[in-house]
Amino acid sequence: MVVLDAVMKVAKEKGAKRVKSVQIVVGNLLMLNPEQLKFCYDVITKGTIAEGSELEIEVVKANIKCTNCGKVFDEYIGICDECGGILSVEGGKEMFLKRVEMEV
Amino acid sequence: MHKIEVDAEMDLLEENRKLAEKNRRLLKEKGVIAINIMGAIGSGKTLLIEKTISSLNDYKIGAILGDVIAKDDYERVARYGVRAMPLNTGKECHLDAHLIHHALEDFDLNIDVLFIENVGNLICPVDFDLGEDYRVVMVSVTEGDDVVSKHPEIFRLADVIIINKVALADAVEANVEKMVEDAKRLNPKAKVIKMDLKKGIGFDEWMEWLKCVLQSRER
Repeated sequence: MVVLDAVMKVAKEKGAKRVKSVQIVVGNLLMLNPEQLKFCYDVITKGTIAEGSELEIEVVKANIKCTNCGKVFDEYIGICDECGGILSVEGGKEMFLKRVEMEV
Repeated sequence: MHKIEVDAEMDLLEENRKLAEKNRRLLKEKGVIAINIMGAIGSGKTLLIEKTISSLNDYKIGAILGDVIAKDDYERVARYGVRAMPLNTGKECHLDAHLIHHALEDFDLNIDVLFIENVGNLICPVDFDLGEDYRVVMVSVTEGDDVVSKHPEIFRLADVIIINKVALADAVEANVEKMVEDAKRLNPKAKVIKMDLKKGIGFDEWMEWLKCVLQSRER
């Protein structure tokens, strides 16, 4: 819903007749599944000017690294598997609307 | 008709964040410590609140009991005579800052501590800051001893992790030490408590943490 609300706000501001595509950025630590989000987007845009538009989801990774040895991780595992240091986590929780392509 | 592209840069999670900050400010102004109690269904969240009310004599307690539907948890807590409010989400699987914001409008905040019992769920509540000061995550051995490692994000962001029903561990063949190790690995800073509320195990440790938090608050 927040996605469609934001898209509609932008579309209204620009006097759009049709929304063609929407790009959003989602942090990988959010409890959000891009495939499910796309499915929901297709459902809730029905009957709106965004019906049939494509939702592109760019997943950005959190910056996870060991506070002791600096090893970088793709996934949060809690404790460094090299040195036993504590991992720090930055980002991964963001979600924003990046770009809207419309016909006006 | 022509095509245009607009760079929007609109934060889609802003609404919850703003309301959570509003809640946090209000609670701080009133000198209330807010504790978001999250956890699995049937892990013992309501019983923890009930037992805490019975033992915490020197402080005024409030409780907001979140559930999808029904007021059972509220009724269990309200009979202790504390300020309590049921909060039904209707369909949603988690509480959010907006629901709490409205609940607080009607809540008498002449209290020291507010327990907010979230909807039983280890996934959806994670991303919704309510404006709480602390997060407590409660699971029990009956959910399987892999329940902690299967839900890393909720444990990563917890302040206190409670493993409840440890007296039943043998019966359900759960390895309590594995659960504790998983919790400590995922969150080395959290306080991890092995508990069995019905047998009274670990409850003192919880009360010690809670009293420490209450005594250290800024008024």
